[in-house]
Amino acid sequence: MAARTRLPLLFPRNLFPFRSQKLVHTEVSVKEPAYPPIVPSLTAKSKSARRRQIEERVKKICASSVEDKVSLITRIQREKFVVYPQTFARNADRWYQHFTKTAYIPGLPEKFTPGLEKPAAAAPGIDDDTFADIRSLVTRVILQEHWQIRKRKPFMYRHQEQVVGPFLRSLVSGLTYSLAKYNPLLQLSSLDLSPQVNFYWRRGQRIIPKGHRRRRLEPTRFQIDDRPHSQIRVTQQLPQFMPLEASYAAEVPEITLPPNVMPLFRRQYDNNIFTGAKLPDPACYGHTQFHLVPDRYHRDRMARRQQADQVEVFLRANALASLFAWTGAQAMYQGFWNYEDVTRPFVSQAVITDGHFFSFFCYQLNTVALSVETDANNPRKNLLWGTESLRLYESVQDGEVVGLNDGVVKLLVQFFMNQP
Amino acid sequence: MPVTRLLYPLYQLGNPQLRIFRPSWFLTLVRPGKEQPQDTVQFRIPMEMTKYDVKNYLEKIYNVPVGVVRTRIQFGSNKKRNHLNQKVKQPDYKVAYVQLALGQTFTFPDIFPEKERAPAEGSMEEMQEKFMEDEKQRQKLDPRRGGVTEWFGL
Repeated sequence: MAARTRLPLLFPRNLFPFRSQKLVHTEVSVKEPAYPPIVPSLTAKSKSARRRQIEERVKKICASSVEDKVSLITRIQREKFVVYPQTFARNADRWYQHFTKTAYIPGLPEKFTPGLEKPAAAAPGIDDDTFADIRSLVTRVILQEHWQIRKRKPFMYRHQEQVVGPFLRSLVSGLTYSLAKYNPLLQLSSLDLSPQVNFYWRRGQRIIPKGHRRRRLEPTRFQIDDRPHSQIRVTQQLPQFMPLEASYAAEVPEITLPPNVMPLFRRQYDNNIFTGAKLPDPACYGHTQFHLVPDRYHRDRMARRQQADQVEVFLRANALASLFAWTGAQAMYQGFWNYEDVTRPFVSQAVITDGHFFSFFCYQLNTVALSVETDANNPRKNLLWGTESLRLYESVQDGEVVGLNDGVVKLLVQFFMNQP
Repeated sequence: MPVTRLLYPLYQLGNPQLRIFRPSWFLTLVRPGKEQPQDTVQFRIPMEMTKYDVKNYLEKIYNVPVGVVRTRIQFGSNKKRNHLNQKVKQPDYKVAYVQLALGQTFTFPDIFPEKERAPAEGSMEEMQEKFMEDEKQRQKLDPRRGGVTEWFGL
């Protein structure tokens, strides 16, 4: 029979007041946990296990070096939408703005002043003589391509690649080399001709309608594979046009329809992220890209098909997709990705031309976190500034360039002279 | 005679322009099954028509500003079988997605709107409806018990 002690019927809370105190006058020491933390399993077939797997993967990617990060993010191949910067789809710029979370601001930032004021205001270090030299260089290049070289008449729908392509190449290289003595950034730059620029990202999700993965959520993946005509890569980041916080107020069009309605097509192949040069290259930041409008999207052909209003839309969509891919790849090369958002904005510029008309665009990448989990509380938006098409020259007659637009040349010079 | 490459019935240089007066093709405007953007209209068109035929048809006959047309052929299923176990083929048809130009939009209208029909006074329908309503009211459980059954209780 158990010994019966005189305990009360109901136990009050502090029946044994000094039971847990061993010694009264010691400090509280850090108690090491006797057992490992209780976390959900890693291999079970449950939602918490899946969540833990994703968390472990994110932690692993955050803890690895930049090359490993890029390879881990682009490792798994799945069906993705291939976004072409130069697209025939109508209203493509609104769709691309939604995919890349970009707000479009007409006109250029205050840094670039279009208009025919004094050319000396173009940039510090450019005075009238230099500007006159630049002007004569531009006229020389135009005459060389359109007047002096004796070419056979280009084939049908090959005019752009056979005439305007070489013109743009010589213009870009001429301007780069002549402005290199005024812009120290260009002296350590790299001019790529027809480089590859690729970017891979996820945005939005959908419910799989059919198949063995039915009713599960799947993120929509996108890939851009772009070949600009030429680009300039530099060793230092260009300064930002607008502070990060100022982009919170910008408006991005929301489209609830799935992207395949646009029309946009899905494929599965290697996921690539590439700026134009591999990771160890010191010129890892972007300066300016130059794009050529191919014959298929030339404004005369669009006008014949009664799609004259889509010309500007096409240019905007092209600039948006190409610059987003380039700045995104630059950010990836610095180690920023979906779960580690950029701490400073990445800035690049682009010029799109079809030989006569030039359009100038500036892009500021404020956020790379575009997937559903990270976008829920992300107020940052990317920004695209752009102009309408500006005519460079009227025509070439009798060995003379008629109607050379100084404003456009000034803008070109300002673009090249952009430096931190 | 030497064999010359004659592509029939395609247009060859020197042929007269192919013009069709009073076409015997008819388009059917349908409600899209999957949601389409605001400027897209969906048609069922005869199999012989092409994108350019659709564009010209809508522009010339109906003065609709057409931007771009995309077509596809929908396969009609051949899976169902009749009482003699023969396969029954549903016909194939061609679908055209027409995107309108000049910023125009189109939404498919509601062809069968809900009508509030009140039965005429003193007629059979009205008495029948009243009777059905009374029956349903009688079947409903006590609202004071919150819809719980009367099988148990104190």
